[in-house]
Amino acid sequence: MTEPRESGPRTTSAVQIPVGPPPDGPDGNPLPMHPQLLEEVLRTLMKAMRATQMYLPNNPVYQRAVDTLRAAFKPMWEEVDEVNLVIHETELVWEGQTVYANPGKGDNIAWLFFKDGIRSLLLKSGVEAEELVPLLEVINKARTLPTDAEDDLLTLLWEYDFQFLHYQFVEVLQEGVTQVTSSGGTPGLVSSAAPDDVVAQRDARQQAVKEEADEAVNKSQVVRLEDFDSTLYFLDEAEVAYLKEQIGREYSQDLRANAMGTLYDLFETQTEHAVREEILTILESFPPYLMAAGDLRAVAEMLREAKVLVLRARHLEEPQRERLDQFAAVLSEPAVVEEMLQAIEEAVQPPPEADLAELFRELRGTALEPVLAWLPKLSKEQVRQMLERVVTRLAESFPADVHKILGTPESAALPGAVALAGRLKMQSAVVGLALTLQHADPGIRLATAQGLGGIGSPGALQALERGLSDPDREVRLFAVRVMAEKGYKGALKSVEALVLGKNVESIDLTERQAFFEAYARIAAAAALAPLSEIAGAKGGLFKKTFAPETRACAVMALARIKSPEARAAIEKVAQDKEVVVRNAVARALREIVT
Amino acid sequence: MSDERRPAPRGSVAITSADTNESVLRASGRALLIHFHGAQRALKLYPVENATTQRALDDLHRGALQVLAAEQELEVRVMGEFLFVNSLRLRLELDNYAAFSSVLGMFREFGIGALRMDEGAERREWQVLLSLMAGQAGKTPAGGQSKFDDLRARLEAGGVTHLVLEPESEGQEFADDAQAAKQAAKRCYSQGVAVTKEVMTGARMGRAVSVKKMKRAVQSIVDQVLSNETSVMGLTTIRDYDEYTFTHSVNVCIFSVAIGKKLGLEKKQLYDLGLAALLHDIGKARVPLEILNKKGGLDEEEWKVMQAHPWLGVLTLFGLKGYGEVPYRSVLVAAEHHMKIDLTGYPRVIRPREQGTYSRLVAVADGYDAATTRRSYQTVPIPSDKVLKEMWENPRRGYDRVMVKALINLLGIYPVGTCVVLDTFEVAIVAGANPDPTFLNRPLVRLALDGQGGIVLPPGTLVDLAERDAAGQFTRTIVKVTTPDRYGLTVGDYFV
Repeated sequence: MTEPRESGPRTTSAVQIPVGPPPDGPDGNPLPMHPQLLEEVLRTLMKAMRATQMYLPNNPVYQRAVDTLRAAFKPMWEEVDEVNLVIHETELVWEGQTVYANPGKGDNIAWLFFKDGIRSLLLKSGVEAEELVPLLEVINKARTLPTDAEDDLLTLLWEYDFQFLHYQFVEVLQEGVTQVTSSGGTPGLVSSAAPDDVVAQRDARQQAVKEEADEAVNKSQVVRLEDFDSTLYFLDEAEVAYLKEQIGREYSQDLRANAMGTLYDLFETQTEHAVREEILTILESFPPYLMAAGDLRAVAEMLREAKVLVLRARHLEEPQRERLDQFAAVLSEPAVVEEMLQAIEEAVQPPPEADLAELFRELRGTALEPVLAWLPKLSKEQVRQMLERVVTRLAESFPADVHKILGTPESAALPGAVALAGRLKMQSAVVGLALTLQHADPGIRLATAQGLGGIGSPGALQALERGLSDPDREVRLFAVRVMAEKGYKGALKSVEALVLGKNVESIDLTERQAFFEAYARIAAAAALAPLSEIAGAKGGLFKKTFAPETRACAVMALARIKSPEARAAIEKVAQDKEVVVRNAVARALREIVT
Repeated sequence: MSDERRPAPRGSVAITSADTNESVLRASGRALLIHFHGAQRALKLYPVENATTQRALDDLHRGALQVLAAEQELEVRVMGEFLFVNSLRLRLELDNYAAFSSVLGMFREFGIGALRMDEGAERREWQVLLSLMAGQAGKTPAGGQSKFDDLRARLEAGGVTHLVLEPESEGQEFADDAQAAKQAAKRCYSQGVAVTKEVMTGARMGRAVSVKKMKRAVQSIVDQVLSNETSVMGLTTIRDYDEYTFTHSVNVCIFSVAIGKKLGLEKKQLYDLGLAALLHDIGKARVPLEILNKKGGLDEEEWKVMQAHPWLGVLTLFGLKGYGEVPYRSVLVAAEHHMKIDLTGYPRVIRPREQGTYSRLVAVADGYDAATTRRSYQTVPIPSDKVLKEMWENPRRGYDRVMVKALINLLGIYPVGTCVVLDTFEVAIVAGANPDPTFLNRPLVRLALDGQGGIVLPPGTLVDLAERDAAGQFTRTIVKVTTPDRYGLTVGDYFV
């Protein structure tokens, strides 16, 4: 019932205040407030509902809509403490007045409430302060629910437990409900008297009652309060504390893990074929839900348990063993792993690294390729770092899968695998890397060169030797520097052929310099004579001439030999007329000293 | 179902013989109400002189005279949602609900609590009454007079003296509230049973279940326990033998939620608990019906099948079509409710675990309801005091003792539905704990037999055993707990 308030001057509000006294209600008495005030509330409610649907809570449009709605309540609460809306299919009625009407059912708040059985809505002053936003959220959620959803407006309203909003409803889901009824039997029929003899029945009942009562009195069996252990009827403090703790435990347990644990137990204890098949089907259906819920730990647990079941379950049939084995294989399939990576990348909060690691520990090597392919695409640095650590572990556990990727030129994971092999100094990957050094993509060839250089083993360097003649300058440069650094004798022939070859001056200066230095480092003392000759080859009759830059390269290379003979050879050209050579000599002499 | 005599209004005592010709009164009472409605409708549609109207009035008057002649009295009374003719509650059926609903509506609109016809009534008086009611419906009397007073004044002015109206009294309103609460509890209970049946049948047939319905049913039970605990707890005494599996699930749900309330659980926690309790026996949907409904004892093999129901419940809930998210808490309660606190029960446990809190709570509610209920393989229910004693004292039962104590706290010394002998030689059914907690042994009861062995028909007369006479002595005291079977009483009838 609406409680009228004393009328007074109507105060500030953004809402248009109706002028004049309220109209009469159905009983002939004036209404406690003008219905326009409520109509305005409902109009702004509709706007706020639309804003809730369209904007996020931090959007100014949404916030303005909520503020306007709050403001619309104010003039109404100045007149009444509560309003009770009767809900019809397409209209809302207050005190016999239609305050909202919409003939269509779409975007109709009356229908929204009506269809789920709500027949009246009582709004109390105060609803706008704390419960308006949750109400809008509940309404918005209810509007978007599919018809076969687990909830409707009624269940959602119940869950929120509004304090300033009450509703009455009819059960619209009542079909098939039969009201409980009495047994239909005739009460009071006792077996000691003829069923049809009413008086005898009554007397027999009276007699039986008296006997029972007398027996209780005679045997002092009358029920007395002191006969009861009164402590049973009150919980003591320790018991209350225990119960509180137990309830806390109920809500802190990992429900899903415990329920899954029950399934694993059942699989072990129930040996029937059909039961195990059913459990396997349930388990097989689970990973997508667990992944969607971000519960990677549960997936890992499931994979671990599958291994345990294979080992422990008695009378396990071979096809069932295979199904259990397949759990990890299926989850490691590239398409599945890609989905997971996408979910991780798109998640607001990435999963804990421990969970991710736990899961990947259980996955097979086939998971490696999609992760490696995804790594360069990841935008979140934190996720990328986590996954890099994950792939490291996977590659260490499944080197064959790294090799497989290296042998697949078209794999998007190839650059990652090449880099990984290098980073992990995977000796076993050299054969594969030797192949990727012939890849059409110079980027991959460079990465391979880097990888092989990282491995640095004689096998790797031998494979890398091919890089010295790579069509790409960067690859050649990298390869020759590695050869120089490692002093790899196996490359001497190739390097020497280039340095002492007739085309040496056709390559750019940096590369030329690198080759000269590599030659010096690899050939050491054996390079002294050829390099001295080049350094001093400033021309003359029948003498070979080298450009000053080439001679400077030879001078710098001599410095790498670090011997008195090398020093003497450098000093020999100290007075060369070419500035480039003299500068090289100066630098070389400094270096050879250090 | 048979129509029931309510305790006669205005404090009259109980009917003491079972030989009243109820069937005649039932039939003539229904006919009277249908004639009343027919005349009402005719007056709305046709002028009073119209032959249809006249014929309808004839039927009404003739029907009224028949009842008066047979019963020496005719009173139509409204109590809550029910119509009584001479204290006999008329049953609502598909072919008469429109007439009843219209008459009820008319009585309510004019604030009429009862209509009595005295000897000497004329047909004309019905015509005046119904014409006035038709004419004044939907109108507000001038001068602030109530509709009832206005109608009575008009009747007097119209010379109607043998049709006497009685207003709805305040007592009537209280009775209405109590009746409405009882009706709400019944609706909730019926809904719970229907939903459980639908879920279990659905699970048996592999059909999808309506989670929405299940939610609503549990929410409704939580609401009832929070606001109307006595009524809804009373309904747990129904113990329908044929529908045992379904009523048992609803009973366990009600007991669990009520214990949860006692333990201070929040509303949403009560919902979680209630849902798990309602579904705790869902595995029975996969136990063959011939075992589930087998009368007499089960052999070893059959017990083995029966004992599979907790884990069958796990499989059922994991595969329940219609559930987006697996109801894990319900899965655990279904799995653990027979596990016992020391895990020595069934199903066998391999991985380390503890019986969950809600599982222990539901186990207590389940154990109590199962033992105190007559079912196919337990034809004699065990008295509740003995059940509670066993649960409390025998550790091999595997209940959490604090949970059992919470149940004892909830039920009191005399649980709802206990049949007791009073020192007045009356027999009564406990209807609820005394609102004053100091009267632990003086619950509210419904008298079922009077001191002379006469039957007080359900729902019996509600009596507070804490009532004292003028000398300060208690009017009635329990001397013994007895079995309702001894007196042919069906406890559930006193709560429906």
